[in-house]
Amino acid sequence: MKRLFSVALGILTAIGGFVDIGDIVANSETGARFGMSLAWVVVVGVIGICLFAEMAGRVATVSGRAVFDLVRERLGARVALVNLVASFFITFLTLAAEIGGVALAIELATSVNYLLWVPIVAFCVWLVIWRVKFEVMENAFGLLGLTLVVAAVALWRLGPDWGGLLHGATHPVVPQGEGHPTWWFFAIALLGAAMTPYEVFFFSSGAVEEGWSRADLITNRLNVYIGFPLGGLLSLVLMAGATLFLEPRGIQPGHLSQVALPTVLVLGKLGLAVLLIGFFAATFGAALETGLSCGYSIAQYFGFQWGKFVRPAQAPRFHLVVLVSVLAGAGLILTTLDPITVTEYSIVLSAAALPLTYFPILVVANDPDYMGDKVNSRFTNALGSLYLLVLVVVAVATIPLMVLTKAGS
Amino acid sequence: MAGRILEAGLHLLDRQLIDKDGRLAGKVDDLELEFPSGGGPPTVTAILAGPGALSRRIGGRFGAWLEAVANRLRDGDDQHPARVSFAVVKGIDSAIDLSVPKRELETNRLEAWTRDHLIGKLPGAGDAPD
Repeated sequence: MKRLFSVALGILTAIGGFVDIGDIVANSETGARFGMSLAWVVVVGVIGICLFAEMAGRVATVSGRAVFDLVRERLGARVALVNLVASFFITFLTLAAEIGGVALAIELATSVNYLLWVPIVAFCVWLVIWRVKFEVMENAFGLLGLTLVVAAVALWRLGPDWGGLLHGATHPVVPQGEGHPTWWFFAIALLGAAMTPYEVFFFSSGAVEEGWSRADLITNRLNVYIGFPLGGLLSLVLMAGATLFLEPRGIQPGHLSQVALPTVLVLGKLGLAVLLIGFFAATFGAALETGLSCGYSIAQYFGFQWGKFVRPAQAPRFHLVVLVSVLAGAGLILTTLDPITVTEYSIVLSAAALPLTYFPILVVANDPDYMGDKVNSRFTNALGSLYLLVLVVVAVATIPLMVLTKAGS
Repeated sequence: MAGRILEAGLHLLDRQLIDKDGRLAGKVDDLELEFPSGGGPPTVTAILAGPGALSRRIGGRFGAWLEAVANRLRDGDDQHPARVSFAVVKGIDSAIDLSVPKRELETNRLEAWTRDHLIGKLPGAGDAPD
């Protein structure tokens, strides 16, 4: 019974934890501009993150070594340092975007300018990381994030032309007036949002934080294979909402309020209230994950004590990195740089850096020295290699496409 | 661990050090080797850990900068990187297990400084998370 409960809890938190500011922005923007024609990318991204998160969780569980620990070991001090600089920068940018996202959600609820909320949000993010137990933190925000389901309720209440949405998703065509490069640029942004590297840093470190053993491997599988796809479905709901409400009106969501529009129109104020709780929980939860991931990546590269399974005084350098990252992230948003723009850059740059994270995971998941009999199956390897090939193509194409399309504008 | 033949680059370098109490205690940033006077393969005498050792492996401008920082952080004229004698190595698998607590290691100096001067001063630093 207890096992069943913990599995169910893990799945639910994986659903709520999947969606973050990057998914909210990317899915709404693509829906508003391209309808459902890029829905297939979300499917590709979800399968990818399932594949590699399961691998990372399994490696961490069996060997006790989290992802960046292995990046250092497999790539050596020099190459891993380049990787660390890139990964840390992207995770930090995402942290800043999430802090901005939380502040925007509170602004919508209070009509007080988001910039005033940024310092308070940053302080609360740090305080939760400093004080709250890992499991409590993860479960609370994961479960609260499930309130995003209200967007799905709104969509269902509206009774849209499901056949039309499905047809748009299964017969992707570039809408008139949009160029192919822009369409592909948004495809890359969606993939970056679904497969952001911090998710595997956090997931694998979380397995160590929670002290997973081989008996937890089944929990690892279920969390990933059920939780993430359902989280991906929530992303698609946001895309469908934007397709139905924003695309026909020619609205390009530049603010969180426009993302909320479909839910408000169908369910009114109460719907908006629930959705805002969802936005808040999803972005705050992701701010915790990215804040911790900043600390995880640096500490694991240098071999510092890290983690919330010890007292803060026992992992001083880890907590110093987290503290400085949260402060600097808040500082970046306080420069009045638009949080939505920061989000867009964070997901596109994530896409460009994907092979850096996923290549070492694939290598170690095949190493019997670490994995014993739990090495990848042939099928997993075939799929993993195929993904890596795609990720390399994406990484090479990202920056030229960004320049060519002026970042999709 | 005397006498075991290892691929040093593969099984030792860049691995995590874990102390007697299961705490993470740095990385194998470099190795100290001794060449027997009568010839034959070298033996590992110590693990070098911390920025001083890492900087030499990274090299280039960043390595030089890191080494300068590491030298600044050390007391007095002591120019050698932090050293962990290979005699305290208890086991080698996906990490390197040591038979001593990390407070006894030279590699612990920076962490102790960060704790004593920064993080340890914040309220609640010594509390278990609840």
